[in-house]
Amino acid sequence: MLSYLLYIDPGSGSYLVQAIIAAVLGVAFFFKNILTYIKHWWYKLFRKKTKTP
Amino acid sequence: MSRTKLHPASFRDPSGFVFRFDGILHRQVNKSFQQDFDEFLSSGLYNNLIAKKILIPHQEIDQNLTGSDLQYKTLKPVEIPFISYPYEWSFDMLKEAALLTLQAAKEAMTCNMMLKDASSYNVQWHQGKMIFIDTLSFEKWNTNKPWIAYRQFCEHFLAPLALMHYLQSPLQNLQLAYPEGLPLPLSKKLLPLRSKFNLNTFLHLHLHASFSKKQVKKSDQNISFSKAKQENLINSLENCIQSFSLNAHTGVWSGYYNEAKERPDYLTLKREIIENWINGLALQTAIDVGANEGEFSFLLTEKNIQTLSADFDHYSINQLYKKVKEKNIVNCTPLIMDFTNPSPSIGVNNEERLSFLERINVDLVMALAVIHHLIIGKNIPFEKIAKCLSKMGKYLIIEFIPKEDEKVKLMINSGMQIFHEYDEDTFLQGFSTYFTVLKKESIPGSDRSIFLMNRNEL
Repeated sequence: MLSYLLYIDPGSGSYLVQAIIAAVLGVAFFFKNILTYIKHWWYKLFRKKTKTP
Repeated sequence: MSRTKLHPASFRDPSGFVFRFDGILHRQVNKSFQQDFDEFLSSGLYNNLIAKKILIPHQEIDQNLTGSDLQYKTLKPVEIPFISYPYEWSFDMLKEAALLTLQAAKEAMTCNMMLKDASSYNVQWHQGKMIFIDTLSFEKWNTNKPWIAYRQFCEHFLAPLALMHYLQSPLQNLQLAYPEGLPLPLSKKLLPLRSKFNLNTFLHLHLHASFSKKQVKKSDQNISFSKAKQENLINSLENCIQSFSLNAHTGVWSGYYNEAKERPDYLTLKREIIENWINGLALQTAIDVGANEGEFSFLLTEKNIQTLSADFDHYSINQLYKKVKEKNIVNCTPLIMDFTNPSPSIGVNNEERLSFLERINVDLVMALAVIHHLIIGKNIPFEKIAKCLSKMGKYLIIEFIPKEDEKVKLMINSGMQIFHEYDEDTFLQGFSTYFTVLKKESIPGSDRSIFLMNRNEL
């Protein structure tokens, strides 16, 4: 198994893991964006309410 | 004798190589890399990288200096005066190099190109900052393919930085043991459990390491990728590295000058003597051995002397690096160097990365308040110290601290024994084979003396 690894292209071993990592990051960024949007919306709402006399 | 000499470390990349012609550094671009290199220039990437000081600039030479049929272009890059290696950098220096490499990749992506090589040896310290030196590391970007240099980046940068961050310990020497980068399975084993709870570290190191043990199928190489995925990957690596730090401030010699400042006259008078001496010498380059946080190195840099500030203490050099950045000093190179074990030559034929003593050749060597630690603390004879210092440069400014000095007494009382005779006569006798004394001054208010010496031509 080790000898097999010694003969592969140095980058190709990381191709599959990159695809998985990129997919996980995509999901993480998606939820992060939603969270940022909610925070922003909440902040705006809160500011509007405090401004009204 | 041939006027062309190939660089011993430039043989892995088929795109071209580095060589010296009449002693001047050049880079050949091979015909096989013609399309990518033309794209590199025409896309504006080269100009962008130069404008942002990410890449070392070059001049095109209208000559085939090697006479090779493979030659497409010959470049003359700006030469870095002193080549240093990642195992001689402090934590924050490696971190800057890592972020620079990612910045280079990001810049390349804006021009539809990609970084194909993310070796830490492609980055050098130059004029107060890290700079990328491999002009042939940029190729046309195939957005459908994952990043070819991803694993190399993780092994050369991410793994050592993560280990230093999580273990809060200087581990630059690991890079000397693994010049091809830290193997990910080993890094995974060394990392503590809590590193798994950081999403970026978990993905790029733990998960990556698990996959690197798996057999690669042909179908894996046909995995499709996208621009957005690539950008996410680079941003995630960047966030991960930004979050790392080496916080401990208590290196062996950190804070030395805070203590020394309690003796202000001593430092001022020593400074005056040295300043007088260096004003009378025509100096361009120097090394400060045992530089600590650079108090006396900055005396040299203020005189426009290109200075290497070397110390074996990682934390002191990291502090010195931060000062260099803060004060925007362009002629000081911070360097981790253990006088008792300078970096050896490593790599193919032991000539890919040169030893420290092969790389160093300066006008002045300065060793202030150092030799008593080597004699008493490490039990190294004067002759051996003199021999090593004589290999570094022509002039030597050296401080001798006698047995009667408080600090030496403290060392002796703490159990350190002097196996070699330790007095001024033995010191001068030991140095006489390699150096001739030009001047001597006693530092008023202390028992210490400073000597200016000239190297003997043996």
